[in-house]
Amino acid sequence: MKLRHLVKKELIEVVRQKELLFLMLVSPVIQIIVLGYVVSSDIRNVPVGIVNLSGGQAATRVIERVRRSPLFNVRFESARNEDSLDRLKKGEVKTVIVFRDALDRKRGASAYPEVQVLMDGIDANTAMIASGYFSGIIKGYILDDMEKKGRGLPVAARPLFRFNPQLRGINTMGPGIVAFLLTIITLFMTSTSLVREKEQQTLDTLLMSPLGALEIYVGKALPAILVGLVDMLIGLAVVVLWFGIPFRGGVPVLFLAALVYLTAILSYALLISVLSSTAQQAMFFSWFSLIIFLLMSGFFTPVDNIPYPLRLLADVNPMRYLVQIIREIFLKGNGIAYFWKELLAMGAIAVTLVSISLLNFKRFISK
Amino acid sequence: MSGAAPAIEVRDLRKDFGRFQAVKGVSFDVAGGEIVGFLGPNGAGKTTTIKMITGLLKITSGTVRVEGLDIREHPAAARRKMGYMSQKFSLYPLLTALENIDFFAGISGLAPGERRRHAARIRQDLPEAVLRQKVQDIPPGIRQKVAMFVCLMPDPGIILLDEPTSGVDPEARRLFWNDIYGLKTQGKTLLVSTHNLDEAEYCDRILILHNGELIAAGEPDELLRRQGKADIEELFKDAIHDHGQN
Repeated sequence: MKLRHLVKKELIEVVRQKELLFLMLVSPVIQIIVLGYVVSSDIRNVPVGIVNLSGGQAATRVIERVRRSPLFNVRFESARNEDSLDRLKKGEVKTVIVFRDALDRKRGASAYPEVQVLMDGIDANTAMIASGYFSGIIKGYILDDMEKKGRGLPVAARPLFRFNPQLRGINTMGPGIVAFLLTIITLFMTSTSLVREKEQQTLDTLLMSPLGALEIYVGKALPAILVGLVDMLIGLAVVVLWFGIPFRGGVPVLFLAALVYLTAILSYALLISVLSSTAQQAMFFSWFSLIIFLLMSGFFTPVDNIPYPLRLLADVNPMRYLVQIIREIFLKGNGIAYFWKELLAMGAIAVTLVSISLLNFKRFISK
Repeated sequence: MSGAAPAIEVRDLRKDFGRFQAVKGVSFDVAGGEIVGFLGPNGAGKTTTIKMITGLLKITSGTVRVEGLDIREHPAAARRKMGYMSQKFSLYPLLTALENIDFFAGISGLAPGERRRHAARIRQDLPEAVLRQKVQDIPPGIRQKVAMFVCLMPDPGIILLDEPTSGVDPEARRLFWNDIYGLKTQGKTLLVSTHNLDEAEYCDRILILHNGELIAAGEPDELLRRQGKADIEELFKDAIHDHGQN
């Protein structure tokens, strides 16, 4: 089988490039660990300032809760409201919480203080999350206080977080990082593969051989699939063993999803390779594509937040489906019955990309 | 020449890249068992013409027949009759010479026994230590030898060599032309492009290409006599000069 020789040749070339081998085997571990710690929406140690203008006990107790919380790092506490805005401006704190006695028109001072939370809106994400955390502290205090007084709330929501009870950001990010890894190595490796053959003029010899266009195409894709799956295994091991992210689903279904995804992404990579004149061009185009894929994948922000017509672009992004499927497999332990639509969408994208890419490849070799 | 169909028949061959005309209606034949030298400066259209003959480049207009087979109608069958060596020797730099040979033998569909025989044959010509080196680490002369070996493995009747001696030292060039002669005696047909004018003397006939046009063709001695020139270099320079003025 002639194809076997092409696959073997590709693998020898990979193994002989020590830098590439390092990138493929060691960098996934480094990338996951770095990304796992850096790309997380968990907010801890938010620097806050407290201005306590209230004379009541309620304010003191809430401040105590803020102090005890690992989410906040109290940088200053003042009884005057003079320079709090200035400190916010300087970036010393992200939040200033101002307690002052609320005016009760009937009885004078209210039992509860009025609380003003000044947030640094430049870091909108941190501001939003920190605001939520602080509201939670206030709500917790009020509930405890009312319970102590023997009064309950008429309606109280008690959320129960399934699949990720501690709301660990890494549990959401980790599986997404596996999808990212699957993309980065295979996209770069394959997009430069054909164009390198062009530069070396070895493509001419390949085309003069009895190998058909489809055989060359498949011979280029198969080694990358193999490398991609090895990288995925490394990624899985790191996110599960290092970060302790639960893997509740089945490995075979994960491999199936990865295979469909790799078919799509490798066809796209081969298309880049066909359309590029140099390896440098192919690398540049791969970087550009990777960023678009990543931003539109739901990795950082939910896909539902993407406005139309950009949403249409997200809908044809195979990474978007893989990120969703991997998260479902990891955290929910779901099987195909739960994400067959996403798998089908990814399959349709793969078939379309294979067709476009193969067509262009055939056109390219007979130009 | 005999009345038999030429090994290569090129008629009014043209290649346009957008508005640029790389080859402008070139016609020539290469008879079976002949060594034809394809001479011309860089950018004359030699590589473009050879690539159109092999079917690696789409023909804008005109025809190419390889032992009677139209390259556009029967590309696979026509290619089976040809061996092609490109300017850069077309070897994988990260693979050893032996791995390159095994790879190209494998994709050519040669049986394992045949592949082993080829490997044994190259071992007679080149030291084992060199053959086990990565191609990127071996000298151009040996690289050229290995590339030629790879080109000949499927035993093609017609061999197209695109500047096979560029970047090779004079001794390796001389040995290379000895090998070419050896192939001729085996009945092979060779079309060899070069810009080393002294190599024209090794050829049965030469074709001089300039700016995509064939400006002179014939046996070297006959051309010199006809044009009244002392050597190929003078003939070449004057032909290009005259063509440039037209």
